[in-house]
Amino acid sequence: MAKLILKNVFKRYDDRKKKKGGKLADFAVNDLTITCSDGEFVGILGPSGCGKTTTLRMVAGLEEITAGEIYIDDTLINHLHPKDRGIGLAFEDYALYPPLTVYDNIAFNLRAKKMSEADIKKEVMRIAPLMKVEELLDMKPAALSGGQKQRVNITRALVRRPKLLLLDEPLSHLDGKMRQILRTELKRLHKEVGCTTIIVTHDQLEAMSLSDKICIMKDGLLQQFGTPYEVYDDPVNVFVAGFIGEPPMNLNKVTITEEDNILYFSFPESSVKIAVPPKYTKVLKTGMHVTLGIRPNDLLITEDGSPVKIAVFENLGDEKRIGIRIGEEYLTLITSDETLYKQGDVIRLQVREDKTHIFDIETGNKIRA
Amino acid sequence: MANIELVNVTKSFGKKKALNDISIQVHDKEFFVLFGPAGAGKTTILKTIAGIELPEKGLVKFDGEIVNLVEPAQRNVSMVFENYALYPHITAYDNIASPMRSPLYRKDEDYIKDRVMKVAALMKIDHLMDRLPARMSNGQRQRVALGRCLVREPKVFLMDEPLAHLDAKLRHFMRAELKEMQANFNTTTIYVTHDYMEALSLGDRIAVINNGQIEQLGTGDEMYYTPVNEFVARLFGEPEINIIDAEFVLDGGNKGVRILNQIKSFAIPEDVYDALAATGKTQFHIGLRAIDLSYSFERQTEHDIHGQVYSIEPIGNKAVLNVDVNDTILRTVSPPDLSAEMDSDIFVSVNMKNAMFFDAESHELVVRHNQAQYTKAVN
Amino acid sequence: MFSENQSLLSRLIQNLLLIIYSIFALFPLFWMALITFKSDLQMFNTTFFFTPTLENYKAVLIGTDYIKTFIDNVIVSGGAVLVSVLAGVPAAYALARFNFKYKEDLAFTILSFKFAPEILVILPLFMIYQKLHLYDTYLGLIWVYQLITMPLLIWVVRGYFEDISVEVEQAAELDGYPWYSVFWKILLPLIKPGLVASALLAFIFAWNSFTFSLQLSGFNIQTVTVASLRYIASDTVHYGQMAVAATIAALPEVILALLIQKHLVRGLSFGAVKG
Repeated sequence: MAKLILKNVFKRYDDRKKKKGGKLADFAVNDLTITCSDGEFVGILGPSGCGKTTTLRMVAGLEEITAGEIYIDDTLINHLHPKDRGIGLAFEDYALYPPLTVYDNIAFNLRAKKMSEADIKKEVMRIAPLMKVEELLDMKPAALSGGQKQRVNITRALVRRPKLLLLDEPLSHLDGKMRQILRTELKRLHKEVGCTTIIVTHDQLEAMSLSDKICIMKDGLLQQFGTPYEVYDDPVNVFVAGFIGEPPMNLNKVTITEEDNILYFSFPESSVKIAVPPKYTKVLKTGMHVTLGIRPNDLLITEDGSPVKIAVFENLGDEKRIGIRIGEEYLTLITSDETLYKQGDVIRLQVREDKTHIFDIETGNKIRA
Repeated sequence: MANIELVNVTKSFGKKKALNDISIQVHDKEFFVLFGPAGAGKTTILKTIAGIELPEKGLVKFDGEIVNLVEPAQRNVSMVFENYALYPHITAYDNIASPMRSPLYRKDEDYIKDRVMKVAALMKIDHLMDRLPARMSNGQRQRVALGRCLVREPKVFLMDEPLAHLDAKLRHFMRAELKEMQANFNTTTIYVTHDYMEALSLGDRIAVINNGQIEQLGTGDEMYYTPVNEFVARLFGEPEINIIDAEFVLDGGNKGVRILNQIKSFAIPEDVYDALAATGKTQFHIGLRAIDLSYSFERQTEHDIHGQVYSIEPIGNKAVLNVDVNDTILRTVSPPDLSAEMDSDIFVSVNMKNAMFFDAESHELVVRHNQAQYTKAVN
Repeated sequence: MFSENQSLLSRLIQNLLLIIYSIFALFPLFWMALITFKSDLQMFNTTFFFTPTLENYKAVLIGTDYIKTFIDNVIVSGGAVLVSVLAGVPAAYALARFNFKYKEDLAFTILSFKFAPEILVILPLFMIYQKLHLYDTYLGLIWVYQLITMPLLIWVVRGYFEDISVEVEQAAELDGYPWYSVFWKILLPLIKPGLVASALLAFIFAWNSFTFSLQLSGFNIQTVTVASLRYIASDTVHYGQMAVAATIAALPEVILALLIQKHLVRGLSFGAVKG
């Protein structure tokens, strides 16, 4: 149970052989500053290569910190050996020792600390039921399924009563159903054990459902750090907006036009336009090009919206998804309307005013009202 | 263009029976989906049709002719492999052109160039033609593999989980694009997936495969509205369907169906009542989809079920709201920004219109309201 | 903020150490080449400055049948590698793709040929070779050299085949290619690095082989390794001539090693490492 603070952390890989021109390698992590409170579940989320795993490895002590400081509670841990940082690690590829039983795998670290066998047994039996691995204790890793291996992996990390639990893409190798089950168990486990946990993942669904706070990274830079709801409802730039949410937010290039004193978002090469919500009228001018962001379930089929033609209709049981092509732009709409549309049908669209987002077309940053 | 038939096919790998007496008929130009959990046997079916795997028993027929002994190359099929299987040492252009440079299907270079560029434009990879597979992302490789499959005009397209390794965003777009292209395919397509949304969206008909056998074969509507058993019901829908015990009360003031230890019964439509009564049983399983359950923080009617909030899991554009009712967890949906205290009181109301009833022992579907409406002509 | 100065110092030290080691490693070669030009008279009373002479070269190349020895070595080593490639590549494919009883035992047996010291089997082989009339023949040596060349080749190439997912072959089949085209057009380019690296390494091992050629060949065929014994005469050691023999013998290997340096590491580790 501890606070984790990263202050202006940088990581650069010096690989001079690769850069023949003498230019230094780019930063894998670039000026990252975040604070994870005691007991919080923080997700570091981003596409592959964004620097999330590098960040985790720096916290763990497996990578050197090029610049900046990392504190656990009030201790600066930059130069501490990984084993002295009080961290439990559960990495993507399980790394369970094949010749040892599950019990011995979990006990391994404790034995290294020269704990007595009786104490070790007590600790293992304390954690094992929480991750539901008691029946697996006598088995060897080769006999376990992916989900079971991952549970053992996490149990092994937790048994040392770490101050911080670090998980690197723990669910990426599991199939859909197993992932869901383990996700729920992880969430419950966190509530019961209360350990400050950092999880690295590229799956935004995972980050959204597990985390108290999400840290979104791209190309080494922090994009946004907030609660799942904050990053979902108020993304600060186009990248976050398009990354969070399944299916992703519609992000379309539009031009601001005016008709009868009303401002509209107009789609290029078409007559389709959507009225600009009043709150934005002060910041938008006719002729501006912006990126309009609307989530698929905030697009509504109404009687009096703009007419558009359906390009794709998907009947997915619980919900229907409609794809609409407007010039070069493509929009997705989700509805639970029972009507079975067909490709080519015309429907009328309107947007939920309070759920419209506008982003600067050059920088990608959000334009606020 | 062809109709493909598997007749009583059995195939084992060592002791494990991958395919157990399977019979399927795929119609000419149909988009046929093989759907089921991992390890069910779907890829084996595809490989058997391609000729890469040979059945121990049973026949594989193309247009009525038995092709068991025909070499894969001679069967004139095109396949997208789950791991793409691109040739690593040649460019994207050469990969896609490869089927038309083989001794069997050779075409001249001008024709090849035309076809390859057309397909590349369709897949939106025209700018990648000179790249090697190693320098492409997964999404780009997937489209090259798809391009290599679509560039010819074979008898049948075989696609093995072509969207499986893509991130959610790309998968969403590619699925919509595939659907748009589908209309122009004009070729029998057999498509394997373990994602129910792909199955429902793309398939003319779906075969649910489990443990080497067919659980159900029919249209997407049939799978979703009239699943033949609980296993199939669970496969479709997110969040998963709720299946709980139900007691059928035949007579008296409390006529109807009792669930979750509620005292009052729920009224059920007449056709459902008649069907349940005809079985002579009283214990059933009832399947209620999450969207047929609605919630409120105050009791609205006397039929509302009282429970506690167990957890809220936001999953993008909605959240799964788990409600604990006497130690049974019911899954329903809520907007993603719903916030509620854990263990706070909540009331659930049930829409019985779409409820499905399963036999408590065999787990097979007994009845649902308006069942006939959803069942199309038999395959 | 950044540790640039530190790395500059450590880089200097690293380079210095490398230079020292290079001198240590390369000096013998340099010295050997140097003394090929020294006459017997000046062998021990000069170091770097002397009057160069070609009499050693004349003595070895023209005076003896050294050139034939050199050619024998080429025939035997090259032939051995050729046979290993022709037989080893299909064997590696079989081990990679097919499952049959005792497969791993067979693979291990093949590998074990490399473990056993040649001396161990030399006497029985000598007797067998006499009986089969293989003594002192090219065929005999090429055949026995398989013990040196084939295991490495099969081991490395098998790893390369295993790294190619079988679906790539299946895709080629479905594209309409017959099995030999699949091998030639698809598989061969992909195993080329490993094949080239292990074939060249096998050649170097074969080239250097001493025991087999000493015992199993006599007057007709002599490899350079054996031939060098000749220069240790009863009365004196003609160091200059020995140096000529050694330098010329070493030349092909050095050249080859320099050429394939890049491929050697990549080729040997790339396919062989399995998760």
